[in-house]
Amino acid sequence: MSTSPSEPRNAETPHTLQVQAQYFDGRSARAHDVTLTLADSVLSLRGAAVQRDEDISMLRISEPMGRAPRLISFADGAHCEVRDHAGMERLLHATRFTDSWVVRLQQRWRWAAAAAGLAVAVVFTGYHWGLPAASEFIAFRLPDSVLAQLGSGALGTLDRAIFAPSKLPANRQDALRASFARLLPPEGSQARYALHFRDGGPVGANAMALPDGSIVVTDQLVALARHDEEILAVLAHELGHIDRRHGLRMLIQGSIVAFVVSWYIGDVSSVAAGVPTLLLQARYSRDHEREADRYGAVMLKANGISPRRLADMLALLEAAHRDKAQKAEEGRQKEPGKAAAERGTERGSIGDYLASHPATRERIDTLNQGH
Amino acid sequence: MNPLLDDAQHGQFEFSGTGSEYFRIWIVNLALTLLTLGIYSAWAKVRRLQYFYRNTSLLGNGFDYHGDPVAILKGRLIGIGLLAAYNVAAAFSITVGIAVFVLLLIALPWLVQRSISFRLANSSYRGLRFRFNGSTADAYRVLLGWTFLSYITLGLLAPMAHQRLKAYQHNGSAYGMTAFNFTAEAGPFYSVYLKLLGLVVLPIFLFGIAAVSLNLFAGLEGAHKNPRQFGKALATLLTVMMVFYLVLFLIVGPWFSARIQNLVWNHTALERHPFSSAVRARDLLAIYVTNFIAIVLTLGLFKPFADIRLARYRLTHMALHPAGNVDEFFAREQQAVNAMGEETANIFDVDISF
Repeated sequence: MSTSPSEPRNAETPHTLQVQAQYFDGRSARAHDVTLTLADSVLSLRGAAVQRDEDISMLRISEPMGRAPRLISFADGAHCEVRDHAGMERLLHATRFTDSWVVRLQQRWRWAAAAAGLAVAVVFTGYHWGLPAASEFIAFRLPDSVLAQLGSGALGTLDRAIFAPSKLPANRQDALRASFARLLPPEGSQARYALHFRDGGPVGANAMALPDGSIVVTDQLVALARHDEEILAVLAHELGHIDRRHGLRMLIQGSIVAFVVSWYIGDVSSVAAGVPTLLLQARYSRDHEREADRYGAVMLKANGISPRRLADMLALLEAAHRDKAQKAEEGRQKEPGKAAAERGTERGSIGDYLASHPATRERIDTLNQGH
Repeated sequence: MNPLLDDAQHGQFEFSGTGSEYFRIWIVNLALTLLTLGIYSAWAKVRRLQYFYRNTSLLGNGFDYHGDPVAILKGRLIGIGLLAAYNVAAAFSITVGIAVFVLLLIALPWLVQRSISFRLANSSYRGLRFRFNGSTADAYRVLLGWTFLSYITLGLLAPMAHQRLKAYQHNGSAYGMTAFNFTAEAGPFYSVYLKLLGLVVLPIFLFGIAAVSLNLFAGLEGAHKNPRQFGKALATLLTVMMVFYLVLFLIVGPWFSARIQNLVWNHTALERHPFSSAVRARDLLAIYVTNFIAIVLTLGLFKPFADIRLARYRLTHMALHPAGNVDEFFAREQQAVNAMGEETANIFDVDISF
């Protein structure tokens, strides 16, 4: 744009660089056409009704932003709007004005590419190491009372939604409880638990650990086991979930993943934000299974039971779910209700998901190798 | 006096931002925000808003944004604190969760009023700041009272509530000494909402017919006999419903947004200078759909380009029609407004567009 100054009545020498601008005093919306000149670090404004000289160090000069006008702000709220970008650059060149480092980053494509790379690196690092470490740190610093409170409603919810009362005879339940109570937990483990038996209904043969220390075993799992040691192996695995506070850690990690995902693409669509969150959480869940397997294996060995029992039980569960393709989870701890329902929509059906799950084979092999 | 007036005598809004420029600002913002665990996000927000404001011109002059990043950061920290408190409380017990939720609900109108104030007080044009004079009492009347009324009447009063909200926002706004005024009655809002109802109900009806004729529900019967069949049928049905919802959201969303923008701005004036808006639903639809596809395909990298496209379309289809000399506005004394309101409201996803 070209604003013709009504009366250019400046100036020091004819060679002085002149830049056209509009001046606003901050009290009125009236625009004053002015000419800017710079001499000895003093910026001079000259216009029909404006005559102002200010040391450049007292002024704030806006970052260059494409074709947006540059703004020169005075301390009293007045400012100049400059649309002559070339003139402004030359004017600034005469001063020792430099753009901030952020602005320089923004101006170069290679820096933008570096920023993109950095962003990916930060996200990758945070997802793989940072977040699991942080949630572990937090989870083990929360008192037991927090855990008990957190999961207190979960079993009730599951009872209403999925489970039916156990049909297992009371003496059989007590015998299993007693056998498991006789096993010594691994050194340093202080996990407190309560063992519950339920009819699994739609989830079939299954076991899960809830954040408050409840371990739920379904009648179907008890029926599926060929040996009581297999049941004890599953219980040891579940106790591992409780000892390692996996429920709480999933909760912390899940909230942060959901927060970051919705922050990044949230305003695209809330539907689109939910799917990546679920996919990203799946990896954490697999890590927790491996950790609980290790705990279970240590506990079993310490009590003279082979970790193969856990491997056998996993194989039995996998086979049972593949054959019957029932709505079920493998013997692992889950967040109650909702997570299971959502997982169902993610991969067609849970049965298919479980069968094609490569981690189960790998887990069985790991347990068998550890004899 | 201003030669641009010839070209923009009727005061069409102009936008000079480009996707490639904004992409670089956006990606640097993203990297620094991640690197500083979110602290930089306040500075990022200021840069983002400044890019959009300064690239928007009206009658030859640009807008500017003056928000203080430190104030925004404080607001964000408080917002995250509230969000965390709510999540933790809800995880502990339903009763405490509900109590905290109700407390937040009660605080919300105040937060919204503060956030509108902060946004306007930090926006300027030709050296004059905007202001918001809407009272806190009216914020409660509109945001709690009318929302409640629209809920208990099962949405019958929702268009009225929307009209009251826009009236609250626009009648309360001022540029310098001059107030904005909003003249739309509830009638036109009802008209938009009725058409919206038609646009939503008709596809749902068609979906129902399609679902029945395609036997989507068949697998759901006899679920006890064949759980695998049931799972598959349920998954198919849910997938179809999700796609359907997404399509509906993508089509109806832009249509509604276009109609409301036109309705609101065609009934808003700055004193005796009226605004006009001529956004077309089909154009907005094309922008939304292509943006959505591009964002998904680029894993979000298209987002800055999408934001620019949308802003350019919306802005360049709006105009101010000056009735007389626009240079005669005089600034009122500026008033500091705490940034906390906007940030806490933002994080709870209450983004009321002005």
